[in-house]
Amino acid sequence: MITLTHFLLVSACIFCIGMYAVLAKRNAIMILVGIELMINAAILNFVAFSKYDKTNYGGQIFALFAIVLAAAAVAVGLAIILNVYRHFNTINPKNMHELKD
Amino acid sequence: MNTALTNILDQIINSVPLFKPELALITGFVISIFSSLFLTKIYKHSTYITTLLSLIAVGYLLFDQIGQTATGFSESWIVDPLSSYARIIIVLSAFVITIFIKHRHSCNNGDVYSVLLAAVLGTHVLSSTSNWLLAFIGIEMVSIASYILVGYFSKNKIQAEAAMKYALFGSVCAAVMLYGLSLVYGLTGDLNFEATAHLQGLMDAPELIVSLALLFVFVGIGFKLGFVPFHVWTPDVYQGAPTSITAFLSTIPKVGALILFARLYRSWSSTDFYFSELLEWYMVVVAIATMLIGNLAALRQQDAKRMMAYSSIGHTGFLLMAIYAYQDSAAFLFFYISAYVLMNLAAFLFIDQLEQRTGSTAINSYAGLGKKMPILFTAFSLVCISLVGLPPTIGFMGKLMVFSALFDFTGAYDNTAVILLLAVGALTSVISLFFYFRIPLYAFLRKSEDHAKQRIAPNTLLYVSYAFTILLIFFGLFPSFLIDLFN
Repeated sequence: MITLTHFLLVSACIFCIGMYAVLAKRNAIMILVGIELMINAAILNFVAFSKYDKTNYGGQIFALFAIVLAAAAVAVGLAIILNVYRHFNTINPKNMHELKD
Repeated sequence: MNTALTNILDQIINSVPLFKPELALITGFVISIFSSLFLTKIYKHSTYITTLLSLIAVGYLLFDQIGQTATGFSESWIVDPLSSYARIIIVLSAFVITIFIKHRHSCNNGDVYSVLLAAVLGTHVLSSTSNWLLAFIGIEMVSIASYILVGYFSKNKIQAEAAMKYALFGSVCAAVMLYGLSLVYGLTGDLNFEATAHLQGLMDAPELIVSLALLFVFVGIGFKLGFVPFHVWTPDVYQGAPTSITAFLSTIPKVGALILFARLYRSWSSTDFYFSELLEWYMVVVAIATMLIGNLAALRQQDAKRMMAYSSIGHTGFLLMAIYAYQDSAAFLFFYISAYVLMNLAAFLFIDQLEQRTGSTAINSYAGLGKKMPILFTAFSLVCISLVGLPPTIGFMGKLMVFSALFDFTGAYDNTAVILLLAVGALTSVISLFFYFRIPLYAFLRKSEDHAKQRIAPNTLLYVSYAFTILLIFFGLFPSFLIDLFN
């Protein structure tokens, strides 16, 4: 029997993997992948919780909108990373030091 | 089932009039996309004209909504004085920023206007909702539009790097906020943060999980507002973005996020569950840390735009203090917001003028220019005086009103927090004197190396910035004109 707890555990694990990718990876595209994992963990949570929200399915609708917004954010992020590659010839955020205190 | 459906449809149709200004924005957005595709070949400035016209239409529809209080779309869309005035301020500053962009980036810029309209739509959503779904959509709309605006003109390494840092940091913050929202939704089963079911759900939930979920949610709001510790992107992005876009970033998204945060704080801090108390202390600590870090870090900046970034962090701390004191009358909040918007737009307009003249935004490049451009630097110094908060300017009146609102608020609550806030607010105003006054110091008292005689030709933007300076003084001397508007 798969209960709500299982869904929450899986989503917490996905969130942590995504967070790890964001903090540890040295490639902007891998960071975007990590962000995508974090967003999908939240979406899984929303869908799992909306089973208990019988009246207006707020969670399902939220999940749909979150998917669309995540896609838009990733599209913009990839365009910006492409532009960065043209200027720096690298997409490792740690190699960029034009702006600092 | 059928009657329920017709009821829902009726309700949606009845709520459409509340959504008129946003419908006008959406129409303007679509038309400006098409005009940048097809009409630009016929008339170069067609997109610019379309954008200005649609902003004027939105402003006209907004003036109809003043004084109205209503909710629509099953209570997720709120029209009240708080949202109406915020949206008017947003549309007015968007108008100025559109002109700013047109004069600085006159070629190949059609899409910028439509993205700007999308960002304005996002802030409209932020400032008139109490529903987490709409709030998240609003935050994402503003964020995505801002990433594009920062990266759009990128001609050099600095701008590309700023855009990437902004996009990555912003997306991580949005993802963390989304996860927090999913936990909040799970705990309450309701997405409206002003509803009793929502508050009851938060009160009944285990304290640890509520704290964690709300901390996650504040990451997203903190990113948009730029308060400590989510301010780290601000200086890099403000310095890297083109000056017209920096003027946009420091005003429009902040107003929207601020109104959302004010609504949230007011509905959550007035309950008697344990988190209200924690929230109040969180607010006090964040406001103090934001004011201190913003103003102290600004002291050692050499770049005018970077200094303005830290100064806007400092002002965010002040605005958090205003939200802390916000009870029923929002007049002082709006006065400070409009003062902040006016001062920032004027400051960035002057920085841009000087950037055109010297090709640099470093403060020491202003050395000796005060004698060559006396009017410009006198006006710029007045803006600096207003940013510090000295009389007779609007900045002084804004700070005075926030302080007095905080004093009125003291009556009912424990005093330690308020006294701390007041002390830090006064102290940081003194600190800010030192870095703002470096601009007139360099301009008037230092000798310059270059002896170029070239002057800034009079242009529209220069007149706009002079007009803003006059407004700063005017509203500082006669604040009642502005306060009466908001009451």
